[in-house]
Order: sequence, then C-alpha cells, then structure tokens
Amino acid sequence: MGDNNVNLPPGFRFHPTDEELVVHFLHRKASLLPCHPDVIPDLDLYPYDPWDLSGKALEEGKQWYFFSRKTQNERVTNNGYWKAMGIEEAVVSSSGRRVGTKKYLVFYVGESPSGIKSNWIMHEYHLSESASSSSSRSSSKRRAANKIDYSKWVVCRVYERDDDDDGTELSCLDEVFLSLDDLDEISLPN
Amino acid sequence: MPDGMSISVNGQSQVPPGFRFHPTEEELLHYYLKKKVSNERIDLDVIRDVDLNKLEPWDIQEKCKIGTTPQNDWYFFSHKDKKYPTGTRTNRATAAGFWKATGRDKVIYSNCRRIGMRKTLVFYKGRAPHGLKSDWIMHEYRLDDNTTDTNNVSTMVMGEASQEEGWVVCRIFKKKNHHKDSPILSSTTTSSITAETRNLQMFDSCTNEGALEQILHYMGRSCKEEDETNNSNSTCARFLQPINTGLISNINGGYSFLKLPSLESPNSTSSGQNCGYGQSMNAEMVTDSDQGTIGNKNQVSNNLVYPNIHIDQTSLTNWVALDRLVASQLNGQTEASRQLSCFSDPTITMAYSNDDNDMQIPGNLLRSSSSSSNKSYHATTQQHDYNSEIDLWSFARSSSSLSSTDPICHMSTSPI
Repeated sequence: MGDNNVNLPPGFRFHPTDEELVVHFLHRKASLLPCHPDVIPDLDLYPYDPWDLSGKALEEGKQWYFFSRKTQNERVTNNGYWKAMGIEEAVVSSSGRRVGTKKYLVFYVGESPSGIKSNWIMHEYHLSESASSSSSRSSSKRRAANKIDYSKWVVCRVYERDDDDDGTELSCLDEVFLSLDDLDEISLPN
Repeated sequence: MPDGMSISVNGQSQVPPGFRFHPTEEELLHYYLKKKVSNERIDLDVIRDVDLNKLEPWDIQEKCKIGTTPQNDWYFFSHKDKKYPTGTRTNRATAAGFWKATGRDKVIYSNCRRIGMRKTLVFYKGRAPHGLKSDWIMHEYRLDDNTTDTNNVSTMVMGEASQEEGWVVCRIFKKKNHHKDSPILSSTTTSSITAETRNLQMFDSCTNEGALEQILHYMGRSCKEEDETNNSNSTCARFLQPINTGLISNINGGYSFLKLPSLESPNSTSSGQNCGYGQSMNAEMVTDSDQGTIGNKNQVSNNLVYPNIHIDQTSLTNWVALDRLVASQLNGQTEASRQLSCFSDPTITMAYSNDDNDMQIPGNLLRSSSSSSNKSYHATTQQHDYNSEIDLWSFARSSSSLSSTDPICHMSTSPI
C-alpha cells in the first residue's frame, strides 16, 4: 500500500483527525509532495463500489481511505453512485485557520436518480480555496503548468454506518448503571 | 504544517501522522498486559505505570500523553493493591476523590475464548459516600487467572482472591454527555419507603460499618461475585433493584417494570450464549455450602431481598436487547410456568423457589413492610409455593387498575 512500511506495535491505528487528513495528506498530495508515510492510495481511476474497497484503499477499523479527484457530477461507481447529503463542515486547524471542507455523501445502489439508499457513507475532504491557492502559489514556480490540477484532489473516507459497541464508549446500559449509582447515594435521616 | 506533526513516544521512536494508539480490548489484554505480567519488554513504551492512588484523572491525562496530538483516551498499567490486608477490596482513592465501580464486569473474548474481564469505574470527587460524580470513566482490564476452564468452581474461588491484586491495564476517558437525560432516571425521586427498606436491611446485615459504607462494600462484593460465577443471579439483581425502587414509587406509570423480576425464566436463560442455567446454579449451590466468605456474601445478598434476575450479559448490551428480553418475557409468561413441571432436577427447583421470591418482593415493598419483609420472604421460599406469584400479579392488577391502562400490565397478568 505505499512505499513506507509503517511498523508500529499493536494498537496503533490510522485514525487521522480531519486536520491531519487535510493538512498532512491532502495538502501534500495536491502539492505533489511526498507523503510520509505514503499509506493512502490513489484510486482516482477506479470506480470501486464501497464494498469493493477492501484491499484497494487503506483500511483501518472498517474505514477506508483513498485519494481521488473532484467530480463535477455525482461520483459514479460500478453499481451505484455517491450522492451529496448537503452537509458540509469546515475543517479548521488547531491554529484556528480554515484549511479545508468536509462533505458528507451517501451511497445509492443503482442508477441515478432512482438508486436505493445504502448505509455507506463517505467523507470527502477538499482543500479550502485559500489553502489550495496557497499551496499552488508555493509550488507555482516549479509546476505552474499543472497548477489547476492541485486543487482537484480530494481524500475520501468511506465506512458503513453501524451501531457497534467497540468498547471505546459507554454502552447505553453502562450509562443507565452509572445513573442508577446516584440512587445509592441517597442517604436518609436515621 | 511541516514534519513536526510526527510524534514521538517517550522520545524513543516516531509515530507517523494520522496514527493513534487505539488498541482493541484483545490487544490490551493479550499483548500489553500479558507482556507486563510476564515482565517482557514492550516496544515503544506507550503504556506507562501509574499509581492510581497518587494521580488524579487529569494528572493521568498529562502523564500518559502520547506525543502532542489531542487524545480522547489515555492508557496505563496499574498495580492493584488491597485496601485492607485482610479484606479483598481494592483501594482506589486519590487525594481528590475515588474511583468507584459501576455496572457489571464485561467478559472479554478472543476467538470465542474468554481471556479477561473489564470493569467500569467512575471517578467521584470528594470522599465516599458524599462524592460528586465526575465525567471521568475508567475501564480496568484484567487477565483471567485461568482461562482454560471457567466452569471449574475452584478456579472461580481462586480467581476472586487474586482478582484484587496484580497488574491491570486501564483506559480512562471523559464521558460524553449525550445520554444524560435517560427517561428512567429522570425519576430520581426514589420512594422514601423503598429507600428506607433498603437501608434498614443494610443495617440488618452489617452492624460494624455505616449503612452507606455497607452499600459500597456490598457493591464491591457484588462485582466479585459476578466474576466467580460468571453470571451470578444476585449480581444482576443489585443493578436492577434500583429500577424497581425507582418505579414502584411511580406505580401508575411503571408497572411494566415490575415485569423485570420474572426475567429469570427458562426462556430467557436458555437463549443465553455462554451461561448454562445449571452452571450458574451450580455455582450458587457451592457458595451456599461453603462456610467461608463466599457463603457470607450469598447470605448478604439474600438478606437484601434483591430479586434474583438472571440476565445473560451478552444479550443485554443495549436497549434493543432489553426490549427484546421484555418482549420475550411477555410472550413467554405462560410458557415459563408450564415448563415448571418439566424440571425434576433439584437445583432447578431451587431456582424456581427463587423465582417466587422475585414475585413476592415488589408486593412486600409495596406494603412498605421493611424488616418484616425479610421474614415473609423466607417463609415463602420454604413453602415452594408457586402460586404466590399469582398473588402478586393480582395485587398488581388491583392496584393498577385504577389508573394504569398499560397494555404490558394486562398482558403480564394474563391467566397462567
């Protein structure tokens, strides 16, 4: 999956923050700078269905990451298409600067517009205008000819919506037990 | 942002951007804790040792940082020590507060084999019993001492003794508050009658310690009992008991919850995955005959007149499961009693006498007899009077018919 062999002890997983995805991975990809580690593959030319991403995209904990390019229309795959949910979030760096945009899409099986909605969700990260323009400015001297291309990259995270209890949060039952403990604290006169 | 985003772990190595320490429970137990226990070296010293009595949660957060990127959870090893040389309780008090166990321990499986347990604790600021609950949660993972045969009673007893000592691996995090307005718990105004009943019984069963201390004590024990028997009736009972008390005070709306005690039916237990009904009953039999500490515990839980509710832990991980259980009960009410005649095994018969107790309890509580309820409870136990449950339901019907039109209530009182 890349030329960098990430050799970490058990328990380390690819769980990038939005900022890391945009600033480290997408920004470098768009600026044609090498990514360290180069773990996210470029699947721009491959219209894989979400369930076919396994083994092709970077997989971590039932989430798949890959680079692609912006599409003018809906992103079409072999058996369906990604439709924007109309939700967009700003990706803000720790210094408070807006570095990108996160768009939510949902996968429909079939042909647009009559496809059947699935549980597959995509987060599509774009560099914000200022970020991409600054990136192209910084590299414009070297690669002015390809300037337009830089801002066309997106990085995608795909997953299937699921209500799994992976032990990383309290289950509903835990919450109830927790609240019931309050009842034990009641003390009475005598 | 340049390469400064690479983070180092304790100055030893670099963790590339985008990578976080998010171990699975299996990795925590089978890789990290196992190595720790057997003194093997662990690459990238990511999990540090923490003296839980010396550090507050917010200090742990500082000490167990990995790199400079924001974290939502923190990991550490902790060596558990007994609170008192003679007792089996763990001391988890800090300068500013204490960690208190909540819920029931969860069994951790690896490839369908039991490898350890997870205990959930909450940090309270202040001193018991007046602590102020915080949002800090700890998951404490311990390895099973003997993972080969959990059915073996002797290993269970040994497991209890060693459970309070040795290395554990912990994860702390701050609870998100999206579940804060749980519908059940909005009725925090517990009936004074039932609360009093409980406290009186606490005093009954223990005169050396204060009632509230005794509550904590009992809770600590109930957590242990659970481990011994893997699926102890009395433990579950402790957690569901407050539901009863909370809702009995709200008779008009809450009758469906009086259904809960009858969860211990052949239907619900036989659908459990990893706990044979006979298995847990066996464990109870043994502790009964044991004259040592465990026998005492059993006695304590009996004195408390907690309903014996048997819920398979794996099936009750969320509200959906709970709904399903209740639904299966509604359907299985008549079936359950029909199956009574099918059992000739004496242990099972005992289980059913317990069932009768369950049915009696809410009635007793409603009649607000506190200490005398103990006696009537035992009396009915000995009679093996299966019909006594009908008394309750008819009582329930008569008291609820005034105002309750809850369909569940009517279904549950359908003729047996």
